[in-house]
Amino acid sequence: MDFELTDEQKLWQETVIKFSREQLAYDVTPYEQSGEFPWEAWRKCADMQLMGLPFPEEYGGCGADFLTTVLSLKALGYACKDAGLVHALATQILCGQQINLFGSEELKRHFLPMLCRGEKIFAQAITEPGSGSDALSMRTRAEKQLDQYILNGSKTFITNGPMADVVIVFAQTDPQKKTLGGISCLIVEDGMAGFQKSTPLKKMGLTTLQNGELFFDSCMVPQERLLGKEGQGAIIFNESMEWERSLLPAAHLGTLERVLETSLSYAKERSAFGKNIGSYQAVANKITSMKINLELGRGILFRCANLKDRRKRAPLEASICKLFISESLKQACIDSVQLHGGYGYMCEYEIERDLRDSIASTIYSGTSELQHNIIARLMGL
Amino acid sequence: MPLKEKIRQFIVSELVGNGQGTELNDSVLLIDSGIIDSLGIMALIGYLEEKFSIEIAGEDLIPENFASVATINDFVLQKSTPPMRATWTLN
Repeated sequence: MDFELTDEQKLWQETVIKFSREQLAYDVTPYEQSGEFPWEAWRKCADMQLMGLPFPEEYGGCGADFLTTVLSLKALGYACKDAGLVHALATQILCGQQINLFGSEELKRHFLPMLCRGEKIFAQAITEPGSGSDALSMRTRAEKQLDQYILNGSKTFITNGPMADVVIVFAQTDPQKKTLGGISCLIVEDGMAGFQKSTPLKKMGLTTLQNGELFFDSCMVPQERLLGKEGQGAIIFNESMEWERSLLPAAHLGTLERVLETSLSYAKERSAFGKNIGSYQAVANKITSMKINLELGRGILFRCANLKDRRKRAPLEASICKLFISESLKQACIDSVQLHGGYGYMCEYEIERDLRDSIASTIYSGTSELQHNIIARLMGL
Repeated sequence: MPLKEKIRQFIVSELVGNGQGTELNDSVLLIDSGIIDSLGIMALIGYLEEKFSIEIAGEDLIPENFASVATINDFVLQKSTPPMRATWTLN
């Protein structure tokens, strides 16, 4: 399979890198300390039309192929040091994918333009206090009464949740059924009676990303806000995970490339016992492992994007992609801190931040352990 | 091998858990009985798309289409272009 990028894709990738270096080069540290979201950077990303990339032009998008969207996230992960901002942006796109794939014409016309313009912040609410990777064992209930659903329950760790204007909520609509057929998706808007958002939860990394709890207390949702069909929730979840497990790793792979470049440069400059530290095998092996994982990661990432562009199913490939790239990034960050020695451990060098951020990548969107389970099941084990 | 038998064979060999019986008649409710769960349906859909050259997306992705061997068989026949015969033979 040929993964050669087109001239247009290469140019766009370079454009996003240049944009990030010029417009997203702010000091992340003050935001880390205050926990604030970088709104100005968000608006710049919106102006750059990054949020609308894969959506049809008739809904305010750019009509780009998925590989181009993946390349954009990779470029952002590479050139923007604020992984929280990049993750928030990816979440916005993923919410749009669900609406674009499963929404009625009315829902698409109503929500996608505001999503593409970045005017409204979107979130998807799946995780609950009692269900993480086992997401479909959720307990939030949506009971149909006449022409509306009455939503009760709570969600936690929801990305973009505390600042969300629109939330795609997964909830049980038929507890008697197994997860397949018993879960549905509803679109809830900020301001609806019975819907409340918490303040952001404090985290060890991804500090600018706003994660929080959402509460639904007899929240009335019109039946027109049902995404897809009733009982289609688990299938929408599976479908969206294929996109998510390609898009988030794209940003991680970009960061891995940056970590590699930083480490390589340092290993060539820093001397110990009269030689550059890169000349010692123990150091060089760490850097060659980063390079190997970068190349292998690129292969599986582009394969996923290519499959999705050809409207093919890619659950196995997406799980491999997510597992391999997130674990590779985490290991690269650990190794980078180690080979930078004391400087790597200091906040000033911004390497420790990448490590803190990278740990989350092996947890969200299904832990590494869950990805192994999925891969095993899809292999018939 | 008839289409329905091919589908049945896949479900029995790939989706039925260890220790469960391999008898699977046309009307057994695969989702309600837990034979097909949220991961299993991903494998099943992938198999159907690959083996029968059909595309399953959007509104076709509803549990009702995958409720039993019989409904899956009907669904594949309906999605096939040109229409596939129920006795379709695969390698």
